[in-house]
Amino acid sequence: MSNQLLLAAAGDVGGDFFRQRSSDTLPCQSRPDEVFCFDWARDNIDRFGTPTVQHLEMVVLSLVLGLAIAFALALLAHRVRWLQTPLLAATGVLYTIPSIAFFFLLLPITGLGRDTAIVVLAAYTLQIIYRNTMVGLANVPESAREAARGMGFTDRQILWRVELPLAIPEIVAGLRIAALSTVAIATLAVFIGAGGLGTQIYGSGNLTFPTSILIAAAIVMSMALALDAVLLTVQRLTTPWRRARAG
Amino acid sequence: MNEPTQASSVRYEEATKRYPGAAEPAVDRLTLEVPAGEICVLVGPSGCGKTTAMRMVNRTVEISEGDVLIGDHSVREREPAQLRREIGYVIQQIGLFPHRTISENIGAVPQLMGWKKDRIRARSTELLELIGLDPELGDRYPAQLSGGQQQRVGVARALAADPLVMLMDEPFGAIDPINRERLQNEFLRLQAEIRKTVLFVTHDIDEAIKLGDRIAVMREGGRVEQYATPAELLMAPATEFVEDFVGADRALKRLALMRVADIDLWEAPLAHVGQATAEVRAKLAAPDVEVPYPLLVDSERRPLGWLSERDLVADVVPSRPDSPLGPVLELADVMRDALADLLQGESQYAPVVDPQGRIAGVLSVEIISEFLASPEAKSDEQPAVERPHE
Repeated sequence: MSNQLLLAAAGDVGGDFFRQRSSDTLPCQSRPDEVFCFDWARDNIDRFGTPTVQHLEMVVLSLVLGLAIAFALALLAHRVRWLQTPLLAATGVLYTIPSIAFFFLLLPITGLGRDTAIVVLAAYTLQIIYRNTMVGLANVPESAREAARGMGFTDRQILWRVELPLAIPEIVAGLRIAALSTVAIATLAVFIGAGGLGTQIYGSGNLTFPTSILIAAAIVMSMALALDAVLLTVQRLTTPWRRARAG
Repeated sequence: MNEPTQASSVRYEEATKRYPGAAEPAVDRLTLEVPAGEICVLVGPSGCGKTTAMRMVNRTVEISEGDVLIGDHSVREREPAQLRREIGYVIQQIGLFPHRTISENIGAVPQLMGWKKDRIRARSTELLELIGLDPELGDRYPAQLSGGQQQRVGVARALAADPLVMLMDEPFGAIDPINRERLQNEFLRLQAEIRKTVLFVTHDIDEAIKLGDRIAVMREGGRVEQYATPAELLMAPATEFVEDFVGADRALKRLALMRVADIDLWEAPLAHVGQATAEVRAKLAAPDVEVPYPLLVDSERRPLGWLSERDLVADVVPSRPDSPLGPVLELADVMRDALADLLQGESQYAPVVDPQGRIAGVLSVEIISEFLASPEAKSDEQPAVERPHE
């Protein structure tokens, strides 16, 4: 019942996908207990292309925006120490807003479509990236900082040449967690008409036809793993010193 | 060195540091001059303000009143970051940058100063060689080096831009005693070559005596109790505090400041292979003989071994002496080490040789103990001893 309510709500605001459904005839109707319909999958695999690209764009843009904001907040809190806790609390509050509610709360401001989705998804990444950046900066050995200061590094040089390079592992670790959750939450962007793979889960056919859902879910998971692998590679390339050990 | 080396004097003029809220100043009107090219050790118990005093020089501690001059220039008139690039800085925790290679660490200050890449690389290689590390280590990261190697790199990094002054804050404090000794010796060897003005902070009086051209003994409140050469400090402590701090064994410590050549050695009766034993016995019977054993030497007067009673039974001196030679000392050896060799070799006498290996005399435990008991060891006179590392 709740699914129907949800779909009704989504249909009111965004969903051109309901029209799409009505023009389709559901395949595999002769074998209703089959979980995965290979015939349908073979005939309809093309329809996942555009949503996948949309999904990836949404995720990457959200992560870039989230990283930019969280990073700026972290640098601010690094200079103005007393802001650390209030900022952590603020990003924490954002994190607790239920995602569907967050989408609809923003509708009057940013309207339907991708922009709203990106704002919401970026907001969810702030907590993790901000917190991890702060942890990374806090873990910089005090001796390295003191030596840099004593050698004539300015505060700015200490930040950009010593502290931030040393914080990269934690920052990227935060990005990796943020990327995983963003890829998943982005499926809900369909409810504000932002497209993405959510269209193939909540829209194509209906929630009682699992084949489309399974394909979309598989793409979502693959995307999450691929992003994770990319970020891990970035981390390894930017921190060669982490793998250097005695011997 | 390819780069020219430079050094400036450091002069404290009534330099005072007050921390807000503290009743007493951490450093109180410190006045002290360190001549260019000398090592000045600031030594004292913890909380005596020695590190604070040192850090006034590069303004990592701001001066409340008074001034510190490098050469003729007040540090207060300089922009701190610019000033610090002209001052080498070595701390106990070393503080190498874990994310930079050894070469990049050494090149940190030159990079800040805008040197060209080629010049920085050449300088890193040169400094690695100077501190006795394989230049191939330049591509490693600090985590791949031992603690001692890291501390050497810390010193090289401080020297990279040819600073006017070096500040060293307990640089060997976290190193195990054996490696510390080695690092100290290496540092003295290095200093003999580069002749920097060094301010060195330690709480270890032995380290201060070993390394310092001058020592400032400080006590709580940043006051200097005595500023003197190590020998003066050991012979004539200015106050009870200094006397206590230097320790009851200060006569013994003086041995660290002397060389074997500085003391009157004994003469041993010499014997040559094939010489008639009667002649040797005659020498032994002489009334003024100082060493009761004949020392066998070769034709170049190089010691071969001690002869025992049994060796003298035959008509001629044998070519293989009965007793082993034991420790052989050199005129240039530090007296403290010579005493250690004697005690370790469980021998009462040790032949001392000149740089060519020829016998110059014999040192005995007795000579040293007589010296320690003599008024000379305690007198206020400046002894004619040279600093071991000069």
